[in-house]
Amino acid sequence: MKESTVKRTVSVLAAIGLTVSLAACGANKKDTAAAPSKSAAKQGGTLYILPDAQKQSFDPAKSQGLAITSLALVHRRLTTWDVQEGKPTTVVPDLATDTGRASDGGKTWTFTLKANVKFSDGTPITSADVKHGVERSFAPAFSGGLGYHKTLLEGGPDFRGPFEGKNLSSVETPDPKTIVFRLSRPYGDWPWVASNPAFSPVPKGKGAEANYGENPAASGPYQVAKYQPGVEMRLKRNTHWSKETDKIRGGLPDEVVFQLGQQASVTSKRLIEDNGDDRFAFGASFVSPAQLAQIQGNPGAKSRLVTSKTGAVAYLAINTQRIKDPKVRQAFQYAVDKTTYQVATAGSPALAGDIATTLITQGINGRQQYDLYPAPPVGDPAKAKALLAEAGQAGGLDNLNLVVSTSNNFPEKAQAIQAALARANIKVTIKTLDGEAYTAATTGPNADYDLALSSWQPDFPSPNANLQPLFSSSEIGKGGYNISRYSNPEVDKLITEAQSTVDPNEAGKKWAAIDKLILQDSPVVPLIYTRNSFLRGSKVADFFIADFPAYPNYLKAGISQ
Amino acid sequence: MIRFALSKLAGLLVVMLVVSFVTFAVFYLLPSDPAQMSCGRPCTPENLAIAREFMGFGKPWYLQYFDFLGGIFGGRTFGTGATAIHCGAPCFGYSFQQNAPVAELIVDRLPVTFSIAGGAAVAWLLLGVSTGVLSALKRGTLLDRAAMTGALAGVSAPTYLVGLLGILLFGFTLDAVPVHGYVPFAESPVDWAWHLVLPWLVLAFVHAAIYTRLTRGQMIETLGEDYIRTARAKGLGERAVVGKHALRNVLLPVVTLFGIDLGGLLGGAVITERVFGMPGLGALMMEAVGQLDLPLLLGCTLFSAFLIVAANAAVDLLYGFLDPRARLT
Repeated sequence: MKESTVKRTVSVLAAIGLTVSLAACGANKKDTAAAPSKSAAKQGGTLYILPDAQKQSFDPAKSQGLAITSLALVHRRLTTWDVQEGKPTTVVPDLATDTGRASDGGKTWTFTLKANVKFSDGTPITSADVKHGVERSFAPAFSGGLGYHKTLLEGGPDFRGPFEGKNLSSVETPDPKTIVFRLSRPYGDWPWVASNPAFSPVPKGKGAEANYGENPAASGPYQVAKYQPGVEMRLKRNTHWSKETDKIRGGLPDEVVFQLGQQASVTSKRLIEDNGDDRFAFGASFVSPAQLAQIQGNPGAKSRLVTSKTGAVAYLAINTQRIKDPKVRQAFQYAVDKTTYQVATAGSPALAGDIATTLITQGINGRQQYDLYPAPPVGDPAKAKALLAEAGQAGGLDNLNLVVSTSNNFPEKAQAIQAALARANIKVTIKTLDGEAYTAATTGPNADYDLALSSWQPDFPSPNANLQPLFSSSEIGKGGYNISRYSNPEVDKLITEAQSTVDPNEAGKKWAAIDKLILQDSPVVPLIYTRNSFLRGSKVADFFIADFPAYPNYLKAGISQ
Repeated sequence: MIRFALSKLAGLLVVMLVVSFVTFAVFYLLPSDPAQMSCGRPCTPENLAIAREFMGFGKPWYLQYFDFLGGIFGGRTFGTGATAIHCGAPCFGYSFQQNAPVAELIVDRLPVTFSIAGGAAVAWLLLGVSTGVLSALKRGTLLDRAAMTGALAGVSAPTYLVGLLGILLFGFTLDAVPVHGYVPFAESPVDWAWHLVLPWLVLAFVHAAIYTRLTRGQMIETLGEDYIRTARAKGLGERAVVGKHALRNVLLPVVTLFGIDLGGLLGGAVITERVFGMPGLGALMMEAVGQLDLPLLLGCTLFSAFLIVAANAAVDLLYGFLDPRARLT
């Protein structure tokens, strides 16, 4: 390279640098709003949602989505959730006229569809379309979604979907407006199950293609306008959606755009800065503890931070197959320090969430507050030592291993637990595993751990979804989430009984009793009800988190003018 | 030349085969089940078995490996009836998480990664070599020390950190460049470049540092060679000595490094793409890892390996032009 060439190269690079500096004039549309909007959302505008996932699908069969987030913008279900701040979430009709009528002692459930409900192409939605949607979720090609119905419907375990020329005879459609479900056993929570994504209608005979979720037949206020994986999913209005038949969805913005695939920390920074289109956006991922700390010193951003009042119950699971003495397990209830756990979770107790003493999470109908092991928030190591001594373990416990996932700063939380237990002479070694490896280790058949840290948010707001997956003996070691490997025949019997109870109030009392019964055996130590925080732009209105679930309600959010 | 090309092709096939086998084996050593992601919740043993069977994960891993190899030549079909998924030959696997053949997913993402890597490579090569040459010529001066300090910073700083600092400074503070997203070249060449300026500069800063240090060291060493002294003694000007005689030798290791770096980057600028929200191969690979998407992971790994081997072959060819002693016969 000649010297003149070298000089030219340097000049070009300098020019690039200069261009970048000179062009510093609104690359990110820096027309900032002064104060966050407190006015109500109005009709119109474009709402931006910022998930960190790179893809977005609206396939109801493959979805585990909540009834108030993305999927529900496009699909309606038989029933749905009415979420309001300060009130327990209730099940309400969506496509159906009511939440289902039970007969045969809760084994048969009948729903009637509302009049004037249509797909995005204007075709009326019939009971056959709902049946097809439910049947489609049984096809091996479309597995992956919430599947509580699959084992409950008569003949479900052997059914492989409607695309092989067979139908599920336990789902009957006597006329275009009526759909009847026959279950293999009484199930009081069927109205909640009918709010799962698989109970969204799919036009009969359609939906065989693998990418159906990229542009499905919509029944909600929006339909897909454009999808670019990794870039954006753009939704436009479904003109055949009728607000008259849907009291749950606001359907306010003209467009909803999911901007896909950006790292959560950059998304948070964009929302803190609140420039251009980001004023009309909200983050779909939790704000991290580090960002939370930063936001505390920024009044503008702090006013746009929305934190749930409660959330998933975080708990320390005690492997009951290895630590068999209930008295020893009860010692853990006093040995833990829930305050340091809160600090490790989000930097402060206020941001982390309230201290938990029950298994049923706050915001769920039927929950009763109680505390079987009263102790100060920092724990009571002396009481723990006394219990260990009573159990013949006066010298404490050695060489216990605590498995944790690498995600959601669980390693830091595990250290807080480790330090707290050491005060009661319980010596713990932490074993950190990658997310999938952790799931395999804790839900697989071989339990090579003494303790595990986990958290649980039920799939639907019923105590059933809180307790059965975590404490029924059928959920041990076969992919289920009973990671404390707790097996109590009496609890199993009571769970089945409570599940069969159709009256929600009566069922609630039974679940509350089961909650206490389980904790008497101390298979887990409830730690906190984990709060989630989300950031919104200054022009996003009606953005709130109800008591359950600890996620924003996408369906009511809109743009303030 | 033909013999060279054939030997390179054979080598490439062997490398591909080894990489695919090792990736398969490593993946199956992990205590996790790729079908778990498609099992749903609650994940009953029956549901897991159904998902496994449909995805082809029900067989022993070595049989799955042969199915994979067979698919390259004959295509594959997953499931039966109306919901059957056909992946035409050459089928490098099917991603059940993304609902598309792996080859199609990779081809879709290529423009993004090639845009990032191409621009960044030009920038770091120009920046690195020119700074290295200048530093060597002005050895011991303030310019040299400043360039070396900058290079040290570039070598030491992780791409992740530089990317985030770049976004903070140029995106948020100066508001000079967009902080996320990708605009296809065909849609708007100006917006395409505008969205890529920052990723290019970040990658250039991180990579150029090594080239600066390498070029400087090589240039200093070369300038002390006898043949350079001879060239000067013959009365050649400094430009000719440096540009024609010295730089040619200096570029040999630079080209080797450039080939490997560019090949690696074309396989996916994982961190840069993630930080800047660019839907390239690196971001795709990250998603495959996060979702235990074995077919996609395998496809991305194979493609990356292919690029590195191909880049090395290109470097071997280029060597001949730079150094006649290494020319192929």
